[in-house]
Amino acid sequence: MTQTLNIPQGETVERVLIDEPELDWHIVQQAHSVLRLHLISFTSAKHTIWIEQQGEGCQTEIYGLTFVRNNETCTLNTRVHHNIGGGTSKQVVKFILGGEAKGEFFGELKIAPDAQQTAAQQTNRNILLSDKATMRTRPQLEIYADDVKASHGATTGQLDESALFYMQQRGLSPEQGRQMLLQAFMADIIDAITDEAQRTALANAIETLVVLNKEQGAKTAPL
Amino acid sequence: MELLRINDLHATIGDKEILKGINLTINAGEVHAIMGPNGAGKSTLSAVLTGNPAYTVTQGEVYLKGKNLLEMSPEQRAREGVFLSFQYPVEIPGVSMVNFMRTAVNEKRKYEGKPALSATEFLRLMREKKALVEMADKLNNRSVNEGFSGGEKKKNEIFQMAMLEPCLSILDETDSGLDIDALRVVANGVNKLKTADNASIVITHYQRLLDYIVPDFVHVLADGKIVKSGDKTLALELEKSGYAFLEQ
Repeated sequence: MTQTLNIPQGETVERVLIDEPELDWHIVQQAHSVLRLHLISFTSAKHTIWIEQQGEGCQTEIYGLTFVRNNETCTLNTRVHHNIGGGTSKQVVKFILGGEAKGEFFGELKIAPDAQQTAAQQTNRNILLSDKATMRTRPQLEIYADDVKASHGATTGQLDESALFYMQQRGLSPEQGRQMLLQAFMADIIDAITDEAQRTALANAIETLVVLNKEQGAKTAPL
Repeated sequence: MELLRINDLHATIGDKEILKGINLTINAGEVHAIMGPNGAGKSTLSAVLTGNPAYTVTQGEVYLKGKNLLEMSPEQRAREGVFLSFQYPVEIPGVSMVNFMRTAVNEKRKYEGKPALSATEFLRLMREKKALVEMADKLNNRSVNEGFSGGEKKKNEIFQMAMLEPCLSILDETDSGLDIDALRVVANGVNKLKTADNASIVITHYQRLLDYIVPDFVHVLADGKIVKSGDKTLALELEKSGYAFLEQ
């Protein structure tokens, strides 16, 4: 069932959600409110987030990170609606998929006729670590106002082979190279968390997943 | 002392044979220049020696200090002391120079059975080696090669070479894209790193670099083979008359 949340005028809400299997939220933002949402998944997840900027000058930030390597299915469905002008929204969504994992990102961005002077951006970058992992991405932009800035971009690829070879040529093992490239890929998501304790906790969780997994003999597929 | 021996080396990329029987022996303390027209196989040779997976060795042998180089992984070759200064150094966004170099140096030390450097020791080493190539301090905090100018990238290659103290350095077109000042700095760095125990292969198109890094031997590579060898005067000759003699 959809849960509705209201962010009162001028308030700031920041939530860091790690490994929530299911979320179905409708968030309504009043004027000059700020929402920062960090959705981090290391396991199967289905997240549906509908955000409406109801008052002027709202700020919305969504950071999504999914890092799975078995046969998980992870879906992130965002709908960001700028109903009124002067607002900003920023979405940075990243998936790292290994094994036979499936990822899906549907991102709807709607700028209503009255929502002049809106600045909206949506970025989706994905890395597939195996041939059997799959990613579906579907950005959908509906822009009905003319005085706006809106951008979106989506890429899906593999780790940079030329970077890996460069690192090997300096004596790093392929595994060390992949670890460094993956940590670099996730860095901006980690850095976006305002609270230092939460940021450190996430960085440590990622470090454990990326670096220590193999040494601890976890069942997860190798990088 | 013999450092590198290449016997009848053949290599392909896809179906195309690029190296068609290279023979070359390099002793410690020597600088060998490899020159030749475009497409002769100069960069392929450096790629094959460093184990680039894009190329396949179909015939021949390569020994580094008596060890079979072709059986080693790229990282093992690096830890044994083979260093490539890339023609096009790769940008690696988000990976800091410090972290990258610390890992590289300590992996090599581990391989040699030495203890890892402490943070203080490592930073001192970085400072010392950076001075060698007149590299600015700010580069430390940046990602590997990201946003570096052409000159900065090449200085950064020589800086890494200084950090890793290889026994065999391959400089692949290190002079390309360098202005004369940067060229001088880079060449100075290379010359200062020269010892009686290491050797360099300098791959270049132009004689210009060899004014600064003086080779003991010059080899002309054409169509996958070394067709002519001589001393440094051969480079001057080539500069004057070009590669036209290859057609005869």
